[in-house]
Amino acid sequence: MTLHSFRVKAAASVLALCLSGASALAQPVEVQWWHAMNGVNGERVDDLVKMFNESTDKYKVVAVNKGNYDEVINGTIAAYRAKRPPHIVQIYERGFMTMLLSDAVVPVQELMDKSEVKIDWSDFIKPVAGFYSYKGKLAAMPFNSSSPILYYNKDQFQKAGFDKPAETWGEFEKQLYAIKKAGAAECGTALATDYHWSMIENYSAINDLPYATKSNGYDGLDTEFVYNKTLVVPQVARMKKWLDDGVLQIAGQGFSPEQLFTSGKCATYFASTAAHSGIERNAKIGWSATFMPWEEGKQPKNSTIGGAALWVIKGHKADEQQAIVAFFDFLAKPETQLWWHKATGYVPLTNKAYELAKAEGYYKQSPTREIAVLQLNRGTPTANSLGFHFGNFTQSMFAQREEVEAVFTGSKNAQQAMDDATKRGNEILRQYERLNKGKY
Amino acid sequence: MAAPLHEPGLKQSHFKGVRLPALLLLPQLLILLFFFFIPAVRALMGAFLLSDPFGATVHFVWFDNFIALFHSESYRNSVRVTIVFTLAQNVITILIAGVLAFATDRVVRGQSVYKGVVLLPYAIAPAIAGVLWAFLFNPAVGPVAFFIKSLGFAWDPNLNGSDAMLLVVFAASWKHICYNYIFLLAGLLAIPGSLLEAAAVDGAGPIKRFFQISVPLLGPTIFFLTTMNFVYGFFETFAIIDAVTHGGPAGATNILVYKVYQDGFINLDLGSSAAQSVLLMTFALILTLVQFKHVERRVNYTI
Repeated sequence: MTLHSFRVKAAASVLALCLSGASALAQPVEVQWWHAMNGVNGERVDDLVKMFNESTDKYKVVAVNKGNYDEVINGTIAAYRAKRPPHIVQIYERGFMTMLLSDAVVPVQELMDKSEVKIDWSDFIKPVAGFYSYKGKLAAMPFNSSSPILYYNKDQFQKAGFDKPAETWGEFEKQLYAIKKAGAAECGTALATDYHWSMIENYSAINDLPYATKSNGYDGLDTEFVYNKTLVVPQVARMKKWLDDGVLQIAGQGFSPEQLFTSGKCATYFASTAAHSGIERNAKIGWSATFMPWEEGKQPKNSTIGGAALWVIKGHKADEQQAIVAFFDFLAKPETQLWWHKATGYVPLTNKAYELAKAEGYYKQSPTREIAVLQLNRGTPTANSLGFHFGNFTQSMFAQREEVEAVFTGSKNAQQAMDDATKRGNEILRQYERLNKGKY
Repeated sequence: MAAPLHEPGLKQSHFKGVRLPALLLLPQLLILLFFFFIPAVRALMGAFLLSDPFGATVHFVWFDNFIALFHSESYRNSVRVTIVFTLAQNVITILIAGVLAFATDRVVRGQSVYKGVVLLPYAIAPAIAGVLWAFLFNPAVGPVAFFIKSLGFAWDPNLNGSDAMLLVVFAASWKHICYNYIFLLAGLLAIPGSLLEAAAVDGAGPIKRFFQISVPLLGPTIFFLTTMNFVYGFFETFAIIDAVTHGGPAGATNILVYKVYQDGFINLDLGSSAAQSVLLMTFALILTLVQFKHVERRVNYTI
């Protein structure tokens, strides 16, 4: 800070003190929030915190961007071990089990229910609450939740004689080949960086395929991956076929797959609903979006979420806990939810917020923003579609991606690769079980 | 060990007693203590533990982490990849740096300009260098990739492991050629002109002089550089791998140091990561010892 700006700020704060009188002398209780939102979404987080801080003079939330999700969880671990943790941390959905069994957190629902604040937990959108719940109670406060949807280039579909993408994978595949053949687009679809999430995990959920035993890990640490025995194998084989035929394109390092879509090179793109803001800003094409396809003859289920939730680190003072409760209460409010939904493209977390958006006519003006909500709310979640509770889920996910890449490079076929992926994944699950036996 | 008396050198004649040398060494030792020895000891301890990242549950598991590694196909793959990567990188770096140093040595005019140009890549941060290479060679948009394809070669580091390996080897070498170059050039300049002139009088051409006189005299420098290149390949190429390939495709460029990072930092498998770093350290240690033992003997240290 320069001396000049320091003087200005000092003068301003003295003035503020005089004007607001004695009450301002009581310092607001401050809580630290470490988050992983950068760029535009980082600015939205700052706006959100500013709104909260202006709504109360008792509490103050200080939001600090600690890098990406990996950096936030590592920073949290380091701070916790050094006994100087922040109050609230934003942890990605894959870190659920790590956080839950860390002995370092206070379950959110427990914390909130002890306070005077009453939150209608049943109003949370089911796959959102279900993902972050342990034994029916929310362990973390859902925050930025998304789900994959299918973005498509309207002009290119029309050029090849289609109104919109087909509902089933089989028909959709034919469309992609037709689009390429007609020369409407150079490639059918661009492979997203997080393709494991849309093309394998959500594929399993939507088609009601078991990903692992024990209700995808919800019923015990002795869960085992079984997706090598489901339609996931032909799905991986299909991706390889598309790749060989030039229907699927990988952007690779140094280039973003989203650009392959927004530049009009690829006709479709499976990505998070949170990609809306980027696509809206960059696309020079006529685009729209629709639901993820499903397999012929299946009754499609809900998709699952991605994103992150807010965890409360334990060991903080009572008044600081109150500040956290107040902040979460503010976050859960339909108005806040609606604002966040509109500002970022993430889904609203409660049905009330969703109703509010509908009543406002928001989806008339931006219909594609509703797709993820509808898709998440489709039907009643089954054991296969509620979510994934796997220890060290990041690790098994990377093992799986490595095996899928082995299919792409041609060194394994889809069945071999998925067998190896589940085998490696199961070793990871067993190690986790050994470490945490009796804790879940 | 005290140096033998009949070999007077710097060691004995300048420092009497212990206090002053100890004092002078202290800052460096402190740095080593905090940034090397303490982390190394912690890694060694962690290698025998199975631990929750938050430290809630810790099991002592003896050698389980190591045994798991030896059984892991992806770890064995990483070892193979590292050997190929460091060897290729070493050979390419020294060869190109050698040619450049030789050429600069022959240049009469504008030598400093050439030196400046060759040294430039050293000033670029590895991560930035990595991004540059990734972009230039990206099969969808990279200009160099277009050029390669226009020559009729298939090029896709996203799908072809060998292409990816080639790419990171060249990126890592490019970044390190300058370091090798400075040392080789300094070595060349230090070679007594009388030796070269005598050879020239005897009728040896510049290339013959280079191989018969300069290269043997550069032995110590090349030996030193080989060790440094291995250390560089083992530990410092992390950022390049991270920016260019993320260790892919299918682990084709997943060198050991990147795997340590991935398993420790991303996957939070701290025990395995610690065991890997202990093995990596041992690997580097053995290599250095072997080099000293076998290579040093053939090196001519007296000029």
